[in-house]
Amino acid sequence: MPTIEKESLIGKRVPKMDAPEKAAGRTRYVHDMNLPGQLIGKILRTDRIHAKILSMDTSAAEALPGVKAVITAKDMPAKMLGLNNDNPPLKGDKVRAERDEIAAVAAITEEIALEALKLIKVEYEDLPTLFDPRESEKEGAPHIQESKDSNVCMEFEYEHGDAAKAETEADFVIEDTFKLHYVTHACMGVSGVIADFDNITGNLTLHSNTQVPFLHKREFSEVLEMDPSRIRIIQPPIGGGFGSKLDIYPFEPIAVILAKKSRCPVKIVFTREEEFMASPTRQPAYINLRSGVKKDGTITSRVFDSLLDNGAYTSWGATIPFVMMQTASSFYRVTDCQYATKAVYTNNPTAGSFRGYGNLQATFAIEQHMDKMAEAVGMDPLEFRLKNAQEAGEVTGQGMHFKTCGFKECLSTAGEKSDFSRKFAENNANRGNGNPVKKGIGMASMLHVGGGAKIYPSDGCGTILKMDDFGHVTILTGASEIGQGSETVLSQLVCEELGVPLSAVTVVNNDTDITPWDVGVHASRTTFIGGNAAIGAAKLAKAKVLESASQVSNIPADQLDMRGGCIVRADDGEVIMQLGKLLRGMHFKDKAELVTTSFYYEPPSVHQDKGFKGDVSAAYAWATHVVEVEVDTETGIVTLDKVTAAHDVGRVLNEMSLEGQIEGGIIMGQGYALTEDLLVKEGRVITPNFRDYKMVTAPEIPEIDLSFIETQDGEGPQGAKGVGEAPSICMAAAVGNAIYNATGVRIYEAPYTPEKVYRALKGAVEAPSMAAE
Amino acid sequence: MSANKKMLTREINFTLNGSPVQVSVPVAENALIMLREELNLTGTKYGCGEGECGACSILMDGESVNACLMFAVDCDGREIVTVEGLAQDEVNDQLRDAFVEKGAVQCGFCSPGMMIAAKALLDKKPNANRDEIKRGLEGNICRCTGYVKIIDAVAAVSGTNQ
Amino acid sequence: MSEIQNYETPNSVSEAADILAKGDVTILAGGTDLMVQVDAGRVEYKSTLMNIRRVEGLRGISDEGDHLRVGALTTITDLLESDLIAEHGTILTEAADAFASVQIRNAGTIGGNISNASPAGDTLVPLVVLNAEVELASKPNGSIVTRTIPIKDYFTGPGKTKKEDSELLVAVIIPKPAAGFVSTFDKFGSRPALDISTVSVGLGGVLKDGALTDVRVAFGAVAPVPLKATATEAATEGKKLDEATIDAIAATAKDEVNPIDDVRATAWYRKEMIESSMKKVLRHVSK
Repeated sequence: MPTIEKESLIGKRVPKMDAPEKAAGRTRYVHDMNLPGQLIGKILRTDRIHAKILSMDTSAAEALPGVKAVITAKDMPAKMLGLNNDNPPLKGDKVRAERDEIAAVAAITEEIALEALKLIKVEYEDLPTLFDPRESEKEGAPHIQESKDSNVCMEFEYEHGDAAKAETEADFVIEDTFKLHYVTHACMGVSGVIADFDNITGNLTLHSNTQVPFLHKREFSEVLEMDPSRIRIIQPPIGGGFGSKLDIYPFEPIAVILAKKSRCPVKIVFTREEEFMASPTRQPAYINLRSGVKKDGTITSRVFDSLLDNGAYTSWGATIPFVMMQTASSFYRVTDCQYATKAVYTNNPTAGSFRGYGNLQATFAIEQHMDKMAEAVGMDPLEFRLKNAQEAGEVTGQGMHFKTCGFKECLSTAGEKSDFSRKFAENNANRGNGNPVKKGIGMASMLHVGGGAKIYPSDGCGTILKMDDFGHVTILTGASEIGQGSETVLSQLVCEELGVPLSAVTVVNNDTDITPWDVGVHASRTTFIGGNAAIGAAKLAKAKVLESASQVSNIPADQLDMRGGCIVRADDGEVIMQLGKLLRGMHFKDKAELVTTSFYYEPPSVHQDKGFKGDVSAAYAWATHVVEVEVDTETGIVTLDKVTAAHDVGRVLNEMSLEGQIEGGIIMGQGYALTEDLLVKEGRVITPNFRDYKMVTAPEIPEIDLSFIETQDGEGPQGAKGVGEAPSICMAAAVGNAIYNATGVRIYEAPYTPEKVYRALKGAVEAPSMAAE
Repeated sequence: MSANKKMLTREINFTLNGSPVQVSVPVAENALIMLREELNLTGTKYGCGEGECGACSILMDGESVNACLMFAVDCDGREIVTVEGLAQDEVNDQLRDAFVEKGAVQCGFCSPGMMIAAKALLDKKPNANRDEIKRGLEGNICRCTGYVKIIDAVAAVSGTNQ
Repeated sequence: MSEIQNYETPNSVSEAADILAKGDVTILAGGTDLMVQVDAGRVEYKSTLMNIRRVEGLRGISDEGDHLRVGALTTITDLLESDLIAEHGTILTEAADAFASVQIRNAGTIGGNISNASPAGDTLVPLVVLNAEVELASKPNGSIVTRTIPIKDYFTGPGKTKKEDSELLVAVIIPKPAAGFVSTFDKFGSRPALDISTVSVGLGGVLKDGALTDVRVAFGAVAPVPLKATATEAATEGKKLDEATIDAIAATAKDEVNPIDDVRATAWYRKEMIESSMKKVLRHVSK
């Protein structure tokens, strides 16, 4: 009899399952879909920044031939969007920001819809504006959200130990303020939705770009005052997510109400300019950091105070202080920590969720302070970090339990491979030479959740698995594919259990009427949580199949295995029967059985208590990046030559996908550090295009050297951790450290654009301050 | 996106993905709208409408151009190839397979434009080295991959390791 | 949007000039600037849209003895790949290489770049350095009349030139420089492509014994038009290019410009970068 060896796809370079049709241009994104009878929806945005709406006249727009619906705030249910219930989908009383939606039109063509928008007349009374978050905080500042007591929309305070006392024991106390800028996701596929409302049945089908379909469904039912069971969300493939699709945005309920009123499907797709102006940003931040350190290099205390510009409305992104806090409290061994963050309303663009979720900002400050402390005590930055780094087994002051921790391996691997310490010393020594182009090397590390994050009542994911008569497996999962490759990784994990080839697996993950619940794609959780759910369902299916095979073969189930699409004897791999044949037998025998299983995985993490303490994730990811730059002191241009990165990934599941995630994150981090700067002047985005909002292009990418540290996390699927966000997090801090190494000038404000660096080198940049000018 | 139903139209004839096409287009409409909305070839993507991202790259008489900046009427008499056209021609299977095998695709939205840019480059420089490949892709933005794997894919076809 | 009443595709300069003579014409060449400007509302179509892409004889670079003739429809890619340009106007090859992206170089034309008359237009600084002239054709009395204007005098403001509405830009004439002529272009930026100039500097001259004569200097993006930098030229003429002289010339360059603040840079930084860029091009040619 033939035998089959166990073959594993784990760790292999498995191509993405959806890649062939994407490369052939066959994939249909929401932009590419059109429903019969569909209208085009367009949104009228205010031309003011902060103003009372005195009157609106839509009669001329309604009279325009081809216009099928015109809506204003009075057509919308009174419910608000957003975490603070502060964002009406259409603004009726007042506008608070450039992007504010005040009316919308559905028409038979885009041109007619645009023409109709021009016919809507609005009268305003301007109100005083607030563009500086430091002014928003002040007593007597005008209220942006008039129903709130103040302009503070979110406030977090945390402490462990006694930072004030610990500071007195420090030999050096270093204090600086850092300033972070606006960036935006700039997904290649602009925002879009098709709302298909059936007036007869009351059923709403949304073809949506969301990353969180089940939370979306719930919020839609609240905002639209609809029965949630009448709402179906279908997710076509999306042109990039990165956190931008975690919230409901006004355009989505607007499309629904237009569809209801016009009784036709309505499609809204943004222009690129609209995307820049009206989609969320990363939070700009002021961070004041005070670090105490002893002569021997022990960190004694950390006092972290930050102020975030929330914009006029509150997204899920306003909860980024949770993540910033973890970095302040638990990234290094800090016995005494005091932390505070306020997010305040302004008339600026609304900030949201963005890959890294506050950690880019916190890490920018903390990792530059690590270098400053190392310098103060006369230690090499690598040595100083190794001295203070967390280790496996530690439970931090905030209650995080690092069951596995590859931090020190990340540090030493990236440090050794890049020859960090030698180059660092050499560049220091070369600062004074006459060469106008200075070389610099800098390092920064990061800690991020790698096993989900328990923020919502459940952080789980469901999977339904079915096997057909031919041994084909269909995975129905709540975990969405957003380009990151979750489909392929989930399939690999299932193949590992069921011993079927990848070609025998189909993943269904895009329809809330079909797939089980999942909290959504965020917090680097999909491989970890969705993966564990898929493994759970596959194990149940395997048990069923082997039980049946045992009855047929008279071999005990625990001596059987599934390999190569067959049932085999576990010890020698001898083929007992074809899987398809067994499944057909199960199906067509007397007590016919279709093999279907379902599993819901809830990670063993906990909700934090009122003091923000608790083990919020089932696993934690670590990484160190060493960057090498050249600083042209005659122009301020910083060129990123090389990145040496080491990541604790738990275990490599798909080496190629993993590299792709890390490389993409590194380049996104390069953009944050060096080129991307969404400039906002008096509330208006003045760089709403790729000409002036500079994303990194192919010729600008550095050489990248990646290492994966495998700590085999006991909770992870096959030992893996989530890493989707990790690579973008520590780039800006590392570049800041490298510029200092090259030039001896520390720049406290990102991004390191040529003019800013040049000014700083000339001593013409003032340090940022938490106090308003 | 400029298109106006009232606008003057012109009938044009051109070769699209190897077949003759006759279509009437508003004279100020761009080729991207014509391809996507009139001819239902949605593989060519709208990314910015200003020639800054390359998502709408097509081949015009063998050279890559941004469809969003091209007047549809200017297609008259020309040979136009879109990503769908690449897929029809077995010669390009190697390039597409390389995109798949080397992990060049994530969200996939830039992939059609990247395929066209890569095809145009390889037609001109079949043995392009990595620096030439980077320059060849300079007009195409990708937000997901960091370009490394896209360059790997093109390099796999050009046979370069430099 | 104003309405287009006529769409014309002339086959010859004569036909095009006839159409222009009737007035109210928007000229379409590569389209790379026009489409964006109309979409952004910065340009309105006139009643006739004239596509000149089919006009014969307007694309290509020819050697005419003492000068090169570059047809207005010559694409930026054509410039980049031309051996004639590389031989007689390296600076233009360098500028073509730094121009936008492959796709835009394939569609964009030299005539379009000149007609767009942006102070940051990448081919303009090199053309000023090369003492180029533009050739304009019209048909005032039923027969073709041409005139030429030195490019240094051609621009009158952002988007504005001395070309009359009835005229068609048909060619750029580039005199072949003398033996020993060297030239170089520096576009300030952190990436090779897809950048609008923050500042650009062009330098040309005949190099002998470490000094330049017949010096030509031009700056982009520091004035309403591409700037011919006469003071900087005078400061460079005949001087031995040692480090001290280079620093002095660069200081003159910085004083000669009076740029503005915009989203890409402040005026202060532009002046500093003119100085730095001037040093860079001087060092480059004197090597």
